[in-house]
Amino acid sequence: MKERRIHTPEGVRDIYGSECVRKNHLSERMKNVLNSYGYRDIQTPTFEFFDIFNQDKGSLPSNQMYKFFDREGNTLVLRPDITPSIARAVSKYFNEEIFSLRFSYTGNVFINNSSLQGRMKESTQMGAELIGDDSVDADAEMIALSIHMLLAAGLKDFQIDVGHVGFFKGLIKETGMDEERAQELRELVENKNFFAVEALTDNPAMIQLPRLFGSKEILEEAKCLTANEESLEAIARLERLYEIIEGYGLGKYVTFDLGMLSQYEYYTGVIFRGYTYGTGDAVVKGGRYDHLLQKFGKEAPSVGLVVVVDELLIAMTRQKLEMEERESIIMILYEEERLMDALKKANALREKGNCVQMNRMDMRMTMNDYVEYAKRFDIETIYCFENCGEVKFWEVNP
Amino acid sequence: MRYLTFALAKGRLAKKTLSYLEKMGIEMEEMKDPDTRKLIFVNEELKIKMFLSKASDVPTYVEYGAADIGVVGKDTILEEGRKLYEVMDLGFGKCTMCVCGPESARDLLKHQQLIRVASKYPNIAKDYFYNKKHQTVEVIKLHGSVELAPIVGLAEVIVDIVETGTTLKENGLMVLEEICPLSARVVVNQVSMKMENERITGLLNELKNVL
Repeated sequence: MKERRIHTPEGVRDIYGSECVRKNHLSERMKNVLNSYGYRDIQTPTFEFFDIFNQDKGSLPSNQMYKFFDREGNTLVLRPDITPSIARAVSKYFNEEIFSLRFSYTGNVFINNSSLQGRMKESTQMGAELIGDDSVDADAEMIALSIHMLLAAGLKDFQIDVGHVGFFKGLIKETGMDEERAQELRELVENKNFFAVEALTDNPAMIQLPRLFGSKEILEEAKCLTANEESLEAIARLERLYEIIEGYGLGKYVTFDLGMLSQYEYYTGVIFRGYTYGTGDAVVKGGRYDHLLQKFGKEAPSVGLVVVVDELLIAMTRQKLEMEERESIIMILYEEERLMDALKKANALREKGNCVQMNRMDMRMTMNDYVEYAKRFDIETIYCFENCGEVKFWEVNP
Repeated sequence: MRYLTFALAKGRLAKKTLSYLEKMGIEMEEMKDPDTRKLIFVNEELKIKMFLSKASDVPTYVEYGAADIGVVGKDTILEEGRKLYEVMDLGFGKCTMCVCGPESARDLLKHQQLIRVASKYPNIAKDYFYNKKHQTVEVIKLHGSVELAPIVGLAEVIVDIVETGTTLKENGLMVLEEICPLSARVVVNQVSMKMENERITGLLNELKNVL
């Protein structure tokens, strides 16, 4: 038997039907929020030179990227992340700009992660970058934007967890420990391994660090634990950040985690993650990365966010959150001789903003078959133009 | 209140963990029945669900949030390399990850020779030889009775868990190098830790007290 080519490779998939409608709706609503904050869309290429994403600029190990060669033998990479591309584009086109720049994007990213772990290799990201602004106001804007995007998507139960890498960096300097121990401690803190951290250090702030997450009271607590300037500055910034977010009226969505140290080399200040029920991973990630653009030749402190659209969609499905608007389609069914009448009707309906699909009647099919078909494809109304007689009208209840 | 779901690695670890949980007042009656065919157990009063799974699957359940909390050996955590919070060392199930082989193989570990290493833990073996010893090796994945490999000549050495060393001794093998100590650990899903912070930290503190 001839092999039927119907399979997709592992890690990629087709998205169709109501899922596709939902995904597009979700993206559209979140994009409207981005635009409402003055963010301009930008599109960068799907693949770029390897150098754009290499270790010191990206956040992904090289062996998890899809690489290939161009005709000259340059190594190309399917983008695993969009932020470095934007950093490159901005450094190129807006090198002289002294004021801040706001960009938003939507696109698919490709990560060649290990097989058979139930993780997709192609996924959709939507994000924003605020470039050339090092103020705490910019940090707050990014977090407010994340909250508004999730609310627009229809999510109700979620929290944005905010940390600041400066607190941990300050403590490391304070204790004066060597690189290797600092690394070990970082892993333990990141793992929230309270008891092991206790065994490794006697610095009171460090011992408490894995527990320093929760509502804003932990900032007060943290302040009393240490006296080093860098750590206190980090706390002061988070406190100011919270005030501003309360100014947006969004305080209740924000919590803090001073032990959040993931991608610690990449982020330079505030970092945040958005969590909700129904998914084991963050749906929003972001933070301040002040040194990335410098690597492309522009000195510009920046802060960004990314919404993991597919993860968000999964979470919303599991939480059984309906998206109210559904695309209803009208079907016009006609016998060949009535095509002109049917067209007129279709035009009129479309002008009024309806979605109309035309089907020429197949005489071998009964009306019942068409009703079943309509049910399968979320068609709510059928107009039927038969050779003789009035136009018939059906409401299909799924 | 939502259910908190526990994933326990089948066998000794689960038994021990259950006895500690019982001391904390978390009883799972149905789980004590050795003949039960049920896969998941519920304590409606405390809103706790619990299931047993193959050890190597525990980190997977927890990473994806299918379970909020897991109890599993450090060996499995290292081998699987999942994104989890590894919050506590339970201190039981202690053993050591070792490189073992016949005395004659000791010399092979001293030079940059390409040797064959059989293991149930290919990732741990690779990490140890490549990143710690900087020796290039060929790792052969086996699923059980790894001690056979050096005896029948499938590999020069093995990487495996050693508890008492009896099996090794009876087969003319010995520990050549120690890789790391192991024991049972509590792992928590990263989202659950945040969304159910109070309940989970409360449980962990209680657990610490009964240990």
